[in-house]
Amino acid sequence: MSPVVLVGTKKGFFLVRGDDVRTSWEVEGPQLKGWQVFHAVRDPRDGTLHAAANNWVYGATAQRSSDEGQTWERSEGLGLPEGSELKLTEAWHVEPGHASEPDTLFLGGAPGVLFRTDDGGTTWEVNRALLEHPTRERWQPGAGGLCCHSIQIDPTDAKRMAIAISAAGMFRSDDGGESWEPRNTGVAADFMPDDKYPDVGQCVHKLLLHPARPERLWQQNHCGVYRSDDRGDTWERLDKNGLPSDFGFGLALDPADPDSAWVVPEEGAENRVTPDGQLGVYRTRDGGASWQRLENGLPKPAWAAVLREGMAYDDRSIAVGTQSGSVFVTSDGGESWIEAASQLPPVLSVELA
Amino acid sequence: MAVVLVPSLVAAQAGGKKRFEVEAGTVGEALRGLPVADLLLDERGELRTLVNVYVDGVDARRGEGLETKLGPAAEVRVVAAIAGG
Repeated sequence: MSPVVLVGTKKGFFLVRGDDVRTSWEVEGPQLKGWQVFHAVRDPRDGTLHAAANNWVYGATAQRSSDEGQTWERSEGLGLPEGSELKLTEAWHVEPGHASEPDTLFLGGAPGVLFRTDDGGTTWEVNRALLEHPTRERWQPGAGGLCCHSIQIDPTDAKRMAIAISAAGMFRSDDGGESWEPRNTGVAADFMPDDKYPDVGQCVHKLLLHPARPERLWQQNHCGVYRSDDRGDTWERLDKNGLPSDFGFGLALDPADPDSAWVVPEEGAENRVTPDGQLGVYRTRDGGASWQRLENGLPKPAWAAVLREGMAYDDRSIAVGTQSGSVFVTSDGGESWIEAASQLPPVLSVELA
Repeated sequence: MAVVLVPSLVAAQAGGKKRFEVEAGTVGEALRGLPVADLLLDERGELRTLVNVYVDGVDARRGEGLETKLGPAAEVRVVAAIAGG
């Protein structure tokens, strides 16, 4: 199948289809017109498209399509249960479940909630252990709300999951979501007035697990880039080795090389654009010991912004979507980039499928 | 038989259907019976903040909200508040 970048935007969903050598790309869409598509993904197990789609007026929805987005079906009854004082405000991220559970997917949302479906997305049930987590009163919403945006499932163990919430931190479950433990040791929360290293309250912007080495996690945080080699038990800060700032959102990995990662630093929390008047993607090949700026094919001058779902990878390429409405793709590890789409609405998410 | 009219974005979520004929005694009954009820009412069954409903031209929030009575030939018009970006 030819490659496609699934692009969620502030005003609908687009598919950007590439040729087999990934040099020529064409835009299809928009679909889900009027909806802010925070994230869309193709379930690799059956090809179904799933989208977290939100609307100012009509709320948070989960949508799915089995015909490449020509028609969409909305999930039933997505919301928080009676008895909770909370209401669902946004749907943020859809994650297909473990290969051994073909009808299971997970959906992250705000305020810091996780849903699970075991019927392919027809109905969703909230995760009670996270909803009623004893540390919840210490979680604080960031600019994007209290969003559960990262859901990573260990490919070697369906019951082992890592999630991240901004700003609550990373939580791990080793029992399929029956319980969740904070895993934020060594991760800074510089915005806190007193304790800069609390057990919860960190502002994770994106968390990824390496698919071939699942004990290795990476995170781009509000306060640094980090790597963990023990499933999140401890974290090492990596952003003093060539990165122009500790602030950014997107993150991409190389499935063939656990020591590689890509980020797009921004000037900082108070000015969220790429530094030096250009869009630079930074790459490490040595586990974060050093970083190199990649810029061949990327715009300059440019004051770009890439959101937390604005980077994606597969086994050949990395895609980067900007709030300026462009999608850039590299298929040589970042040495050169092609602008696969431009003048789209502000890009909220990309996925390679 | 009351008639409920919904905006095009909502209609797109109901296979393009913009007009629904419903047997309902109140606004709440009328909305809860629609295939797009979840877009108009939140998980507590309350009217979403930015969804406005007019019954024969009168804002239901100025009446009894979801308990507003419907006449046998009422027209219930769903209108999105001016919001967005």
